[in-house]
Amino acid sequence: MRARRWLEVGVALLVLAAGLHGLAFFELHRLEPTPALTELPLAVSLAAWLLVLSFLALQLRLRTRGLAVLVAPAAFLGTVFAAFSAAAPGSGEAGSALWSHLHVLLASGGLALLGVAGAAGALYLIHHRALKQHRVGVRSALPSLENLDRANALASALGFLLLSLGVVTGVLWVETREGRLWPGGLHANATLAVWALYAALTARRLAAKQGARQTALGATAGFALLLVAVIGVGVLR
Amino acid sequence: MSLLLVGMSHRTASLELRERFATEDLRPVLSKLVASPEIDEAVLLSTCNRVELMVWTREVDAARLRLRSCFERELGSDGLQLRAGDLDASLYELVDGAAVRHVLRVACAIDSMVVGEPQILGQVKDAYRAALACGACGPILGRLYSCAFATAKRVRNETRLAERPVSVARVAVDLARQIFESLEDKAALLVGAGDMIELALESLRRHGLGTVRVANRTPARAAALATRFGASAHGLEELPELLARSDLVLTCIGGDRPLLTATLVREALRERGHRPLFAIDIGVPRNIDAAADQLDNVYLYDLDDLAALAESNARERQREIEQAESIVQAEQQRFEGWLLALAAVPTIRALRARAEEIRRTELERGLSGVVLDAKANAAVEALTRGIVNKLLHAPLSRLREELEGEAGLAHLEAARSLFGLDDPSAPGPLERQSAQARSDEDPEASG
Repeated sequence: MRARRWLEVGVALLVLAAGLHGLAFFELHRLEPTPALTELPLAVSLAAWLLVLSFLALQLRLRTRGLAVLVAPAAFLGTVFAAFSAAAPGSGEAGSALWSHLHVLLASGGLALLGVAGAAGALYLIHHRALKQHRVGVRSALPSLENLDRANALASALGFLLLSLGVVTGVLWVETREGRLWPGGLHANATLAVWALYAALTARRLAAKQGARQTALGATAGFALLLVAVIGVGVLR
Repeated sequence: MSLLLVGMSHRTASLELRERFATEDLRPVLSKLVASPEIDEAVLLSTCNRVELMVWTREVDAARLRLRSCFERELGSDGLQLRAGDLDASLYELVDGAAVRHVLRVACAIDSMVVGEPQILGQVKDAYRAALACGACGPILGRLYSCAFATAKRVRNETRLAERPVSVARVAVDLARQIFESLEDKAALLVGAGDMIELALESLRRHGLGTVRVANRTPARAAALATRFGASAHGLEELPELLARSDLVLTCIGGDRPLLTATLVREALRERGHRPLFAIDIGVPRNIDAAADQLDNVYLYDLDDLAALAESNARERQREIEQAESIVQAEQQRFEGWLLALAAVPTIRALRARAEEIRRTELERGLSGVVLDAKANAAVEALTRGIVNKLLHAPLSRLREELEGEAGLAHLEAARSLFGLDDPSAPGPLERQSAQARSDEDPEASG
C-alpha cells in the first residue's frame, strides 16, 4: 500500500515536472523561434520530455504507474545531461530547417515511445522472474504482466511508426542538404540497423510467433541498442 | 445498567447448529426483546458465522435468562431437537467491557473465521439498521455501534489486516491478478470436483472470473458442481482442448501420475499463441508435471508454494492483528469513558443541587431580620452563587476528566461519598434532589 502511495506521489511530481519542462520549451521557442533541435543536448532534452508525456498518456489507457520507477530516472538523467551540455543559442542548422526539425521531433518521439516500451519490457522481465522463482508476495505494486505487455505493444507500435517517419525525414533532410539519399556514417547506419531489428520484432509479434516474455526482452534490448545508436554515437562524435 | 451480549459463533458452535439459529427476519425478535421490562435496547446480528444478541439492560440476570430463552424459542428453527446442554455449551455471555470489546472486534473482522474479511462490517451495519428501524436501538447501543464502525474504519486505514489473505483460494486469486489485469475476460479450468475445487470455484466466481470449466473423471460430479456455480462440465478426455482455451488452470484430483504433462502444456501454449498460463496444482500427488514450470509464459504454483505464501501472510497478519487490537482497546476505552460520563450526570446534578440548597439555606439564615434593597440583594445573590460555582468548578472539571480514564468509576464513587450524596440523613430538600437525580438515572424507580 505504501509503495502504491509513493508511486502516486511520483506520478504527480512527473506531471508537475513535465509541465515545467514544457514551459521551458515554450520560453525557448519565444527567444529563438527555430531552436537548435539538431544539437544533441536539446534533442535529448526533447526526448526526455516526450518520454514523460508518453508515459503519462499511457496512464490514461492502462494502469502502469509502476513504469515511473524507470521512466522518471531516465527522464531525469536526460534532462541533467541536456542542462550541463546545452548548445549555444543559434547554433542550429539554418538550412533545411523544416526537415531537420521534423526529423528530430519524430525521432525523439519514437525514441521516447520506444523508451516507454523498453521500460515496460524491463519491468515485465523483473516481475516475470519473481513470479517464476515464486518470490512474490500476494500484493505487488508492480503492474500486472498483462498490462505491461499491453503497454509494451502499444508503445512499440507507435514508437516504431514515429522512428520510421524519423528515418524517412532524416533521408529527406540529407537529400535537401547534400543532394544524396543516404549520408552513411555511424549514426545513420546504426540507427538503420536498429530500425531493421524493430521491424523484425514487430513482424514476429504480429505473427504471434513469440510470447510476451520474448517481446519484453526484444523491447528492452532494442531500446538499449537504439540509445547507443542515437545518443551514444552522438556523444562520441 | 449494563451491556450484555449472548451469542454463538464459529468458535463455539458447528455450522449445522449455527444454521438452525440464524434468521433473516430480525425485527419480530427485536421487538419482543425491547418489549420486556428488563431490556431497554437490543441489536441482533445473524450471519452464517455468528448469531449474537446485544442488549442494554437494567437487570443483567433477568436479561440473561430472557436472551437464552429467546435463543431457544424465537431463534431456533421449528422442530429443532437439541441434546441437553448443546445450546448451553454453544452460547457465550459477555458483560459490559467484555461485550463492548467483542462488538468492536467483530466489526473489525478480528473475530471472523477469515480474519480481515470485508463482509462482516456490512452485516453489522445491516443489523444496526434493522434495530434502528424497529426502534430497538437507542442512544447507548447507537453510540456503541457508531464507535464500532469508526473503529473498523480506523483498522482498515491504519493496518493492512485486509490485505493479507490466508486461504489458498484467495492467494491463488491474488497471484492471478499479478499476471492478468482483469479476471473478467479470462477462462479458468478446474480439474477435479472435491472440496478444494469447490472452495476455489466459489472464490473465483466471487472475484468475477469470466468463464469457468470443470473437468472431472466422473462427469456427473463435475456437472453437479458446475450447475451450482454457473460453470460448464467436461470429461478428462477434453483436457488438451480445454487447456488451450484456459488462462488459469487449477487442479486437485487423485491419480498416481501427472495428468497434465509438460508436452501437453507446451502444445496448449503454442495453440494459444504463447499467452501466459497460470497453473495452480494443489493435488497430492501433483497433477501437473513440474517440468511445465520451465516453459516460458507458464507460471506453475503447487500446494507448497501457496502454503508458504499463506503462512507468510499469516505471520504478517499476526502483526496487523496486534495493531488492530490496540486500536480496539483505545476505542473501547473511549466508549466506556463516554458511558461513565453518562452515569456521572446524576452525581453532578445532585452535587450542584446540594451546594445550591446549602447556599440558599445559609443565605436565608444569615440575612434573617436584615432588610436589603433590591440592588444589595442581587449583589449578595451573585456573590454567594459565584463562591459556590468557583468551589465546585475544580472538582467537577476533574471528575469529568477522570471519567475518561480507568479510575473514572472510583472517582465517581469517591465524589458521592465525600459530598454525602447517598446519605439518607441529608436535609429534606437534598433528599428530594437526590431522589430526583436517581429517577433521572432510572426512570422505572419513580414509577
